[in-house]
Amino acid sequence: MRQAVLVGAVAYTTNVVPIWEGIRDYFADGPVEMDFVLFSNYGRQVDALIDGTIDIAWNTNLAWVRTVLQTDGRCRALAMRDIDRTFQTVFVSRAGASLGDLADLRGRRVALGSRDSAQAAILPVKYMRDAGLGTDDVELIRIDTDLGKHGDTGRSELDAVRALLDEEADAVALGINTWEAIGSDELMPDALTEFWRSPEYCHCNFTALDSLPDDVGKLFVDHLLAMSWDDPKQRTVMELEGLRREWVLPELDGYASLFTAVEEQGIPARW
Amino acid sequence: MVGDARTLVDLVARVGAAAAGERVPVQVGDSDPELVGRWCERAGHRLLRIDDGVAVIMRGPIPDDDAVLAEIPPERQPGTRLWIYTNFDCNLACDYCCARSSPQAERRAVGPERIRRLVAEGAEHGVTEVYLTGGEPFLLLDLDEIVRDCVARLPTTVLTNGMLFRGRRLRMLRAMPRDGLALQISLDSATPDLHDLHRGAGSWQRALDGIRTARDEGFRVRVAATVSPGAAGTDETAAFHGLLDGLGIERADRVIRPVAQRGFADDGVTLTVESLVPEVTVTADGVYWHPVAADHADQLVTRDLFPLADAIDEVRRRFADYRRESELAAQRFTCA
Ligand code: SF4
Repeated sequence: MRQAVLVGAVAYTTNVVPIWEGIRDYFADGPVEMDFVLFSNYGRQVDALIDGTIDIAWNTNLAWVRTVLQTDGRCRALAMRDIDRTFQTVFVSRAGASLGDLADLRGRRVALGSRDSAQAAILPVKYMRDAGLGTDDVELIRIDTDLGKHGDTGRSELDAVRALLDEEADAVALGINTWEAIGSDELMPDALTEFWRSPEYCHCNFTALDSLPDDVGKLFVDHLLAMSWDDPKQRTVMELEGLRREWVLPELDGYASLFTAVEEQGIPARW
Repeated sequence: MVGDARTLVDLVARVGAAAAGERVPVQVGDSDPELVGRWCERAGHRLLRIDDGVAVIMRGPIPDDDAVLAEIPPERQPGTRLWIYTNFDCNLACDYCCARSSPQAERRAVGPERIRRLVAEGAEHGVTEVYLTGGEPFLLLDLDEIVRDCVARLPTTVLTNGMLFRGRRLRMLRAMPRDGLALQISLDSATPDLHDLHRGAGSWQRALDGIRTARDEGFRVRVAATVSPGAAGTDETAAFHGLLDGLGIERADRVIRPVAQRGFADDGVTLTVESLVPEVTVTADGVYWHPVAADHADQLVTRDLFPLADAIDEVRRRFADYRRESELAAQRFTCA
């Protein structure tokens, strides 16, 4: 009998349905069958992974960190998108604000995205701390929309940009994907400008518990990685899921900064 | 400036949250339309229009032609079948004829040389089957040569009314290859009435004789029935299949299709470029979208028969456009 896996994903946009139906259809012809269930938030998805309701979770970086913490590391990352290996956070100000570095934020107002967004809240706080800015040195404006979705919707980041444009904030921390979606500083160089960019870190991954049999995990990963940008049908799904070109194996080093940030900021392992 | 920036933020929020393919209206006020266009292009969306400060944007990713065509089963891919109207004149003048053929119709023959070239170029460009039609191809006294040339390259079907298999034309039939060739003969009903009503008195019997002759000569025969709306009840259909069983026509070789609202037909199924999966069709006058409309300007693709590859590519490109548009329309008009 053909092996089957059940994958969990969070429904953060209407496009999640065609994305996962496309991936399911692709797996229908493969060595391992795959179906999916959608969750409204990453908290319950990780619960479902741990209690065995699902075999694999399509997790954000924060959901990965929390899975590791809740399982004492008895889990593994199977694969990720190419863009997940090179994720970054950018700090943006209004053009002409003469901010050159994070240290220049002393005494300024920084708008952050949802507090459960690694890219727009948790890591930015760490970057500011690393730059020597304590809690009293910067006024944080937190825009906590879409909590539970770890910033996937991008809405809180866009609201933060609006606050910046309305001069209610002096700077904003954004995921590189949101910054590029707005057009980075190419489309509106006279309005917004990037003044600091973080080192690359990892974002989403397919997370499984150690109990997932190795052969099943391997079949899943091999078939996933074989998805081809050159196949028009497969490419449509890949484009919708935001891949640049391919699925890749994970690089766990890229999560180190988030583990540190979670610990430093006392973010609970379960919520 | 800040207004433009706000517009970009709104665009990301509104379009980003929409379903792929959806048309999203976004207030852009008096923002620079060129900026909106550039944003769409970068993000893989399509700016459809900006009217009165509202931009209408099709949410990407927008599938490219290959992705659209990949949805069509291989045997129905536009450009796999090549139809050639060998000529337009006919010994009959059926009242539903989509080619407006009759004994008075001008011949407008493509001719063996051009057919040879069409089939050769087609075979190089993905054509896998040739259909020779008309008019009545058996009016041409060089049809055997044409058929031999086609069969030498690709499996070929000749559409005929089957009424001319006598004398010189019977000898021509006998000279045609059996392998790689099928004859598709028109027979509309189990008894003469319906068939003769549209195709002329005595035509049913002669078509039946033609089917028998072709079978006796060892040809694969397909039978095609053209049925008026409401004409084929269950009894008629059963009787028709009974007749074809008796003639030894395989089930898979029976084509029953409705009258198309084209040519001489007053009513019938309405077929438009948008509703038809194209089957590249060449006449002496040009390349058309589909054989049911090979005499209709609305389905003309190009007047240039050569290079055929260009016409095939054009058909595939246009079809991908219509498909994309209709799929998106289907998404817009879902009722539940
Ligand atoms: S339908 Fe066929 S047989 Fe009848 S007139 Fe047209 S071409 Fe001739």
